[in-house]
Amino acid sequence: MTDVRAGLKLAIISESPADEAALKVLVEAVLRERVTWVTPTLRARGWPSVAQVLPAVIRHLHFNTDADGIVVVVDSDDSLVHTSAHDAPGYYHPHCRICQLRGVYRQTVKKLPAARGRDRILRAVGVAVPAVEAWYLCGRDERVTEEVWTKGQESGVMPYTRGELKWRVYGTDRPSLAHETRCALEEVARHRKDTRRLENDFPGFASLAKDLREWRQINR
Amino acid sequence: MIASVAFRNFKALRNAHLELAPFNLVIGPNGSGKTSLIDALMRLRSLAKLPLRDPVPEAERDIHDGPEVTFHFIPPHEASEAVIGCVSDTQCDLLQVDPVGKDWPGLRTRLQGMRSYVFDHHAIAARSAAREGAELTTTGGNLAAVLATLRKNHPEEFAALSAELMRILPEYREVDCEIGKDGMVGLVLVLREGGERIPADNVSQGTLYLLTMLALAFDATPPSVVCIEEIDRGFHPRLLRDVRDVLYRLSHPAGFGIKREPVQVIATTHSPYLLDLFRDHPEEIVISEKIGAAATFSRLAERGDLKELLEEGTLGDMWFTGILGGVPEEKND
Repeated sequence: MTDVRAGLKLAIISESPADEAALKVLVEAVLRERVTWVTPTLRARGWPSVAQVLPAVIRHLHFNTDADGIVVVVDSDDSLVHTSAHDAPGYYHPHCRICQLRGVYRQTVKKLPAARGRDRILRAVGVAVPAVEAWYLCGRDERVTEEVWTKGQESGVMPYTRGELKWRVYGTDRPSLAHETRCALEEVARHRKDTRRLENDFPGFASLAKDLREWRQINR
Repeated sequence: MIASVAFRNFKALRNAHLELAPFNLVIGPNGSGKTSLIDALMRLRSLAKLPLRDPVPEAERDIHDGPEVTFHFIPPHEASEAVIGCVSDTQCDLLQVDPVGKDWPGLRTRLQGMRSYVFDHHAIAARSAAREGAELTTTGGNLAAVLATLRKNHPEEFAALSAELMRILPEYREVDCEIGKDGMVGLVLVLREGGERIPADNVSQGTLYLLTMLALAFDATPPSVVCIEEIDRGFHPRLLRDVRDVLYRLSHPAGFGIKREPVQVIATTHSPYLLDLFRDHPEEIVISEKIGAAATFSRLAERGDLKELLEEGTLGDMWFTGILGGVPEEKND
């Protein structure tokens, strides 16, 4: 068992500083504690770049830092959405981004020797369906949920586009980074004290939250 | 401003056509017509300053099938057509506008507002004469005078520009313009820690390029069209998002809460990292292609399989592989 000290030190790999700022709030809301963040921040260039660089990132964090864990969140875009069936032991869906990221993590850490007093760094994986702006709208726009999107995929009639979600959150589909960060932080503030609604409407976030809570159990 | 440009035998652009959007990022190999596109716009600007010549029918010219560039415009100038042509091998300064009527004076004014830049950090850092109406030169020169004028006449805009620079480059706390006894203005950046004053000629190239783009973006009366070559030059890849945002402020002012006419932006780059940032707006990407001696343009959004491609890689990676086109030709032995 990995020994996680009180007061986690975590890394986030994200696509932009705006995503990172919002994810930090959500991670601390789930863990219900302040987290120390690894610097310099980690950044990827979207899917599939995240999956490509993840092994190197994990090895770097394992050997070169005292990070306890890594948080990985990607947009699902139009890919297949993760379901609870994928969580069955030994199951792996090759087109599901959560399954793919978990697979990359599994393959990477199993080859690593212990370092810096821990067997491995922990991982928490989430997928925003279809984009992180959908999470930002949770609790503000009832029409935006993971279920609505999945039904759209099944019927072939999508309920909204990623561009429309950007409009609803930012009021433009070309937000500046500063505006995007401001809006993201305003929206996630709704979930700062209670993430249950976000977990209910977005199982891709619930997966992330479940991973994070398991870290706390390990810590106890 | 410019709706479309059609080229005939203009440098490498033998037979090319391009519809222009409010924001256009042109990618492609060296010598594929990116600069020629900008040159054509600047030639239109230069010729529009002159009195229009009487039309010369093609049959009466000494040259046939010579270089010709045809421009169409967005409303309210959609009825006008401007054609740059040649009268002889050595005289390519014939601008014909059809119809020449009430529309021409307004269109002419807007054409004269087009600007093109290839930034040079030495020119940007140089002290410049303090004077009202100072304007950036094609290399970014006069920046100090432009910022001093902005600070004097539009202090709120200058403060916003400074705040944006500080947000992007938090190591600085102030932009200052020092006016010397000789009437020359020098640019100084003040470090956040310690307050050291850094004269412009000791500031990094990327910082100077960013400051110049900010000067354009926060200009109270910006050009009608801004063309910038190699907008990624001098910037860390993580700063490219901010560079894009600065230029979006020109081309999409409403998205920034600014009430003014959009400035059409035509920019070039060789950076795959910058290209990555246009995944949601492929309609803004122009791919210039050179096959043999002839160059052409196409829009990335015209790719029918773009959605599938983006599931398998970033735009920058896809461009580098060559499957999007816009890569250098290689010699096949």
